[in-house]
Amino acid sequence: MAEKFDSLEEHLEKFVENIRQLGIIVSDFQPSSQAGLNQKLNYMVTGLQDIDKCRQQLHDITVPLEVFEFIDQGRNPQLYTKECLERALAKNEQVKGKIDTMKKFKSLLIQELTKVFPEDMAKYKVIRGEDPSP
Amino acid sequence: MGGECAGHAGIMENFSALFGGAEPPPSATAASLGFGPGKPGGPGSGPPPVPAVTPVGEEVARKASAASGPFYLMRELPGTTELTGSTNLITHYNLEHAYNKFCGKKVKEKLSNFLPDLPGMIDLPGSHDNSSLRSLIEKPPICGSSFNPITGTMLTGFRLHAGPLPEQCRLMHIQPPKKKNKHKHKQSRTQDPVPPETPSDSDHKKKKKKKEDDPERKRKKKEKKKKKNRHSPEHPGVGSSQASSSSSLR
Repeated sequence: MAEKFDSLEEHLEKFVENIRQLGIIVSDFQPSSQAGLNQKLNYMVTGLQDIDKCRQQLHDITVPLEVFEFIDQGRNPQLYTKECLERALAKNEQVKGKIDTMKKFKSLLIQELTKVFPEDMAKYKVIRGEDPSP
Repeated sequence: MGGECAGHAGIMENFSALFGGAEPPPSATAASLGFGPGKPGGPGSGPPPVPAVTPVGEEVARKASAASGPFYLMRELPGTTELTGSTNLITHYNLEHAYNKFCGKKVKEKLSNFLPDLPGMIDLPGSHDNSSLRSLIEKPPICGSSFNPITGTMLTGFRLHAGPLPEQCRLMHIQPPKKKNKHKHKQSRTQDPVPPETPSDSDHKKKKKKKEDDPERKRKKKEKKKKKNRHSPEHPGVGSSQASSSSSLR
């Protein structure tokens, strides 16, 4: 799994570095550096080709749109992961609380119904495959 | 209480008469096939016929008896193997490491902290310079399906004028002030009259003390060596000058 991302990361790093060098050449351009500029431009094309090739390995990867919003706002995308994990845990605890409460309610209801309808509840327990004796 | 019970039982019987009685009682074959009344699923969805001795057969028989009794609308309980919120899903999916990594310590807010080696001012919102990823998705650039190398004639379009770029175009080389921030933090720490300052000061004092102590120690060492040399039989005539030179070498 990580190998796929490693190759993409490597290509992206090379591409960014090439662009950085291109920026340096352009920022104070000299006529003698035209050949170097042309070479860098073609490196850029090959870099894009390499990145495009990585697409085949990553077709099954999905990225949430919210992550892009974080990046667009200049925020660390790890904050999105953090928020997701915190939200998941909070919701997990909430649902666990509900399930536990419902289980308690069920046992109390069975307990009370057994007092009022002992025969019916005995039948119920037989149907449910539970021990009919309280 | 007993009267109430009798009343309830009467209601139950009425309900069973209304719903249960309308349908014919389930036959043994129907029960064994597993599509008796009160069970979800049509005739085709039931399990294949099995002998009544097996646990499945027992279950079917139980359901058949349930259909004839007061609990004719009973549904099957959800399976216990089903994954629900009652289990800690973070541990179930082995995400404790990720949870501790992201939620255990403070994650830095800025994008440049995530991509420290990326050149340019990446902490600015993408909408400012129209470089947002959102716009790339919403309005994808019109281009061909493949990337072709730039040939000789096309490269003529990239002939540039000599000289530096104008100021407004130099944004690419401006880096976020990371080191300055660190210095600021340090300055603020030293400015505050809080404990962090005191250890550093004490360290300085200790170092100074050590430095002050060093020449005294050297002198003492020299004196000891001189005494040793004088008393030792191997170096009866060694002068003080040689001893000092040896110590200086060390």
